[in-house]
Amino acid sequence: MFWPFLYTIYLSFFDWNMIKPTKEFVGLQNYIEVLKDPLTYKVFGNSAVYIFILLLLNFTVPYIFAFILDFVIGRMKSFYKSAFFLPAFISLVVGSILFTWILNPVSGPVAIVMGWFGLEMPIWSKLDGWVIFILSLITSWKIFGYNFILLYASINGISREVIEAARLDNVPLWKIFFHIVVPMSSATGIYIFIITIVQGLQFAFTPIKVITQGGPNYASSNVIYHAYHEAFVLYRTGHSAALSILTMVIFVILLIVEFKYVERGIYYENK
Amino acid sequence: MKEIRFENVKKSYGHTEVVKNLNFSIHEGERLILLGPSGCGKSTTLRMIAGLEDVSSGNLYMGGKLVNDVPSGKREVAMVFQNYALYPHMTVKQNIVYALRMKKVPKKEIAARLEDALAMLQLRGLEDRLPKDLSGGQRQRVALARAVVKQADFFLLDEPLSNLDAQLRVSARKELVKIHEKYKQTIVYVTHDQIEAMTVGDRIALLNEGVLQMLDTPENVYHRPANIFTAKFIGAPPTNILEMVYYDKHIRFGDQKMSIPNEWIQHIQKANAREMVFGIRPEHLEIMEEHGENTMYAIVRAIENLGAEYAVYLTFNNEEVIALSPHKEWRVGEQVYIRPNVQHMHIFDMATTNSIGYPEKMVNRVPVFN
Amino acid sequence: MKISKNISIPWHIAFLITIFLLIFPIVFAVGSSFTSLQDAYNHPLALFPLNPTLENYQAFFDSLPAIKIAINTFIIASVVTLFKVVTSFMAAYAFVYFIFKGKNTLYFMLISTIFLPFTVTMIPNYLIISNLGLSDSLWGVVLPQLADAMGIFLLTQALRTIPVSLIEVARLDDMSHWQIMKDIVLPLARPAVTSTSIWFFITAWNEYVWPVLILKSTENFTLPLALQMYISSEGGTNFTVAMAVSVVTMIIPLALYLMFQRYIIGTFTSSGIK
Repeated sequence: MFWPFLYTIYLSFFDWNMIKPTKEFVGLQNYIEVLKDPLTYKVFGNSAVYIFILLLLNFTVPYIFAFILDFVIGRMKSFYKSAFFLPAFISLVVGSILFTWILNPVSGPVAIVMGWFGLEMPIWSKLDGWVIFILSLITSWKIFGYNFILLYASINGISREVIEAARLDNVPLWKIFFHIVVPMSSATGIYIFIITIVQGLQFAFTPIKVITQGGPNYASSNVIYHAYHEAFVLYRTGHSAALSILTMVIFVILLIVEFKYVERGIYYENK
Repeated sequence: MKEIRFENVKKSYGHTEVVKNLNFSIHEGERLILLGPSGCGKSTTLRMIAGLEDVSSGNLYMGGKLVNDVPSGKREVAMVFQNYALYPHMTVKQNIVYALRMKKVPKKEIAARLEDALAMLQLRGLEDRLPKDLSGGQRQRVALARAVVKQADFFLLDEPLSNLDAQLRVSARKELVKIHEKYKQTIVYVTHDQIEAMTVGDRIALLNEGVLQMLDTPENVYHRPANIFTAKFIGAPPTNILEMVYYDKHIRFGDQKMSIPNEWIQHIQKANAREMVFGIRPEHLEIMEEHGENTMYAIVRAIENLGAEYAVYLTFNNEEVIALSPHKEWRVGEQVYIRPNVQHMHIFDMATTNSIGYPEKMVNRVPVFN
Repeated sequence: MKISKNISIPWHIAFLITIFLLIFPIVFAVGSSFTSLQDAYNHPLALFPLNPTLENYQAFFDSLPAIKIAINTFIIASVVTLFKVVTSFMAAYAFVYFIFKGKNTLYFMLISTIFLPFTVTMIPNYLIISNLGLSDSLWGVVLPQLADAMGIFLLTQALRTIPVSLIEVARLDDMSHWQIMKDIVLPLARPAVTSTSIWFFITAWNEYVWPVLILKSTENFTLPLALQMYISSEGGTNFTVAMAVSVVTMIIPLALYLMFQRYIIGTFTSSGIK
């Protein structure tokens, strides 16, 4: 599993197109070209927008929902759990197809309902910004439940006595959430935070590939899709490898910053 | 041949030594109790015998063979765990015979052993139940049965009764002794409960902080503690340990003194320790209203009802002393007189905390233990 | 804990709306797949077909080797699942019950691969598959999917919940690791093994990124690839056929999930992150 990774680093120092018999060593040239390319910054910017929306919908919302389901909701608990988790088992290609039709700006059901209120559905697949928002929504449909279930498990594992003690002191619900539940489930919380960023961008690959191929004019491409595009559409393996390695370095830096920043606050469950 | 011998055995995890230099033997066919407070290394010692923990240094012999590197499966041991470790997906019967089947013991033999064990441990009728459908006592008996049918030379028990309630414990202890009388295995039994140790053990090995404190019969451990730790650990309420000075054939506590028999005088002089402490069990300390022969005064501080008798807490020579009294007609704050029974006194060398021993004339006196 | 009804009702509503958003597309797809294109355009909001028809399914079977594609998907998912379960189970067993130097480091490295984006391995893997001459073949899809850190992680967590003393008893009885694995650990870990297998199967069934790189000819396609042919960013003109293919693609994963949901949710909720 580590060999391909090392080989990607190796490839990032060569100029190659996967077909030529010889690879030409170019040192850091690929990295310099990638870093000079304005497209790279556009794609990184897009990725940041993806990350922001994905975190909101697949980290913040399920965290709150998991807490509410565990502490506020009495009935239908297992129904909610099952229903939230269900889309995680369906192919994202299916998800992409379904939403493409449902959100079809002319004849889709959402456009028609909006029409009743005199609203017009934007042609989202052609509009900067909108396109990322909708693709993030489709990706979220798939990963929401998985994140929800793991967060729920972690919150459910918190000792009832601690919460009950707080209830007896009449601590309001939102304070219990921020002062007790979040710190005591932070190990899982951080894990979900990280995979939402890292895997979220990878999951978004599928709707991007299926629906927009990164368009219009790279407006919906993210770093993962762009690395794929460089390698398998433009056949610039060096650029693709360099971009992947840069992506990973940024991820690793993010992780380290994240850990440094919250390390002291982490409460490890089961310890 | 079925004895176990520790030779300079040590066990450490990283830099912490859990067991420090053990040297002792467990005789063939005896019931040896490993007793001590939690964290004293008793379970680790047992697990070294089982082969579940490696010996860090030193030699461990079982049946005359060095077993340091013998895997647990080859050591001829059966073990009962504190949580019983019954396989939750197997019925009582499957649990009991599983190991025998794996060892390819003939079918007839398995059936016979199973029958024996079921009868002896009153498990008939429960054969097809799963562990989750059994009571705590039944589970414990299944665990025993599973160990018994192996007919191993060494029978190891790790706090086997600690999850049972008090009444079940009494009957389980008897069962255990019954099993042993039938099979005569070498039993090593870990417990932190001294009553269990006294009733089950032929000998008790008392451990503290990884060091063997005393290894002897229950009688001697109780009546002739080898050191202060043993004296205080065995018996409840614990032995009173008091500062004393020996001077002019008397033991002096501050400004009060007590005369002692001649043989003790000679013994103390012979021991020639610089500083000594005096030990007396609460049951060997009599409380009286009036001054009498060899009595010393003390103040009553508190009285605790133990059911059959009362524990009276007193201040004596600025130290707290506990005495047992058959009645509670003592008032807090009252001055009373105490008289130690000198037949049952202990004296320890302060420097080593070891007992200075007992006068020769008294050595053969077998203490009555009840 | 007593919490007044007044608080919980708005949350029930929020949950139900979320569930509507998550589940509506699926219901809509099933309904549309049995509707003629004509009806679908005329009554876009109807959840249930007015004149139920199988013509969309018929269209799929006529235009593509549908049976072959379904079988491909099934074979790939089964082989991947089988390999992954066996290797993950053995690895988890070793991580839990063996003591060896560098165990924790190895485990940590393995788990950290969950965080590696696939782009950092995709080109070398693609080259390996091409050099082995496995492009456009089922084995080419299967091979890079055989190792899986997530499975090792889930099963390691599950095995850790089995009391160590059970394994110790077995060791005292001189049982081999093989016997312990087969007679004790596997039966006790069965719920976790079952749900992990289902998770593997569904993930492989739904896999899109690899097949799309490796598979070129339609008779080697898997269902997600076939489905992809029915899409264009406008929603496509014969979207009802696309809905039928969607239903075919999701029916097996959905059935498995609904059948084993208690196991699956149990396994995921007991795998606390450590």
